[in-house]
Amino acid sequence: MRGSLFLNRENVAMTVTTPVRTQAPSRPPSRRRRFSWTPYLFIGLAVLYLLVFAVLPLLKGLDLSFTNTRLLNPTAGKYIGTENYNQLLSSGAFFKSVATTLIYTVFTVVGSLTLGTVSAFVINRFFPGRTLARAVMVMPWAVPTVAVVLVFRWIYNDSTGVANAATAALGLGERGWLTDPNYGMLSVVIATVWKVTPFVMLVVLAALQSVPEDLYEATRIDGADSYSTFKFVVLPFLLPTLRVVALLMTIWSFRRFEIIWLLTGGGPVDVTTTIVIDVYRHAFSNSELGMAAAAGVLGLLLSLIVTAVYFVAEQRANKQNGVHA
Amino acid sequence: MIVRRRLSTGVRALLALLLTCLAGFPLYWIINTAMTPTNDLYQGQQKPLPDISRALDLFSVLTTDTPFLGWMANSAFVAFGTTMLSLLMATMGAYALSRYKFVGKGPMGFLFFATQMLPEALLVVPLYSLFAALGLLNQLSGLVLVNTAFAMPVALFILKSAIDNVPYELEESARVDGCSPLSILQFMVVPLVAPSMAAAAVITFFDGWNEYLFATTFIQDRSSWVASTGLASFIGEFSTPLDTVFSAALVFTIPAVIFFLLMQRKIVSGLTAGSVKG
Repeated sequence: MRGSLFLNRENVAMTVTTPVRTQAPSRPPSRRRRFSWTPYLFIGLAVLYLLVFAVLPLLKGLDLSFTNTRLLNPTAGKYIGTENYNQLLSSGAFFKSVATTLIYTVFTVVGSLTLGTVSAFVINRFFPGRTLARAVMVMPWAVPTVAVVLVFRWIYNDSTGVANAATAALGLGERGWLTDPNYGMLSVVIATVWKVTPFVMLVVLAALQSVPEDLYEATRIDGADSYSTFKFVVLPFLLPTLRVVALLMTIWSFRRFEIIWLLTGGGPVDVTTTIVIDVYRHAFSNSELGMAAAAGVLGLLLSLIVTAVYFVAEQRANKQNGVHA
Repeated sequence: MIVRRRLSTGVRALLALLLTCLAGFPLYWIINTAMTPTNDLYQGQQKPLPDISRALDLFSVLTTDTPFLGWMANSAFVAFGTTMLSLLMATMGAYALSRYKFVGKGPMGFLFFATQMLPEALLVVPLYSLFAALGLLNQLSGLVLVNTAFAMPVALFILKSAIDNVPYELEESARVDGCSPLSILQFMVVPLVAPSMAAAAVITFFDGWNEYLFATTFIQDRSSWVASTGLASFIGEFSTPLDTVFSAALVFTIPAVIFFLLMQRKIVSGLTAGSVKG
């Protein structure tokens, strides 16, 4: 309601001021030094929104983590100090879920970065059928996770799945891809890598295409072979991008829920129970909201630490480059 | 030299073929499974090439035997609401971040970046109790509200990097002529960044379209389910024929893939710009 009124008033304002001409008076933007409410009006709605729907729940979660609140009676929780944290930090199960998260993260990040970078290099140069190959290779990123899970469950199916048909045909025998604890993590990682690799590929491709053409030209005239072209021309352009993508992939792996939950539910025998799976189980299977919140807070701390380490490393790398240059 | 180049083109094409097959197979398998009769599926009789003539029957089975179309309509409502709300706030916020210097700009930029890091699984607990208190559980509009919190910052970064690339001089003169900032944004900037608006719209739309965690936690009422919840409910359930399940998955997937392919360049440039500049 208010929105439409707002827009109408603007329309009226616009009819008055329509004849805008572009005789640029070259006045520098630094004219706008005087304090103005305008930017706050523009950004206020978005900031307020995030305060209500992200920051407030976060604080509420922090608050919950110090209570023994239960799902069925969410208003009856009592403050119990750091009891939840004590319990988590003294239990092997929580550290196991941290370890599982790290394993899952390392394998997905390394897998998708490798596969995505190779794909980008392949697609970057012309070959017959490139447009089609490129289109197919980016598609997995767009497939909704629930559909991804359905098809991978069918592929991994013990008796009728095509994964077992393939390994049997290769003489490797059959496996319980989603039921054998030795293969649960591998299966989840494969499905995840399949889904997220296109993102890496597209970002690396964009970085590759930003390498100036005359740089290639210059190295060719200097008689550089393809290895040194790669090392001295392409890699310096690529590294910053790869670092950012690695950070994004890491953070996303820490918080990824749906694909794991729907593929294995954290099983078999907890081998894919990452922190977020643990949080959700505490909350909605054991209905311990307080405990769930505490586990979630610890998980968030972990991704904060990783991000901080990343920024420190990034700054150190920049400084070093500065010294050498 | 020419032989070597031809060789490397050959290797490249071969590698591309392999990668394309890897990327394409699960998608192809959705189509194939949808078009194979359920009995054949359970007897392990799935052929490499399915019976394409079944495609025509799929849709009618889907509409008569499952509530899937209703769930799709719910998804569309949630996705559309998320897009509208996100774009409205993101456009205005992006304009402020791109064009003004003001106290608190840094922390506000960080706030938008930081939401990318929050695990939904942590927020779902407090949001559940918040929504219970506000009577927003079992409401599709509740899903619009939470999805927007996660989708809007992405749209904002896409739009900010687009507005950064629009030359300032035009606006300067309009401002001197007495145009209000809002009409400058609405009638000068927005038309210029229309392609990026479209990319942001696609991203936020399919954010809402695909979302599962909040949808499955907040909506208990089966008729108010969205397609992602409905589709997930088929997992481990045997009363719905498997080919019907996979045709539902196919119908759910196709729009997302098509729009993404149309918009991918803009989407990627926006996503990376947002994450790099933070």
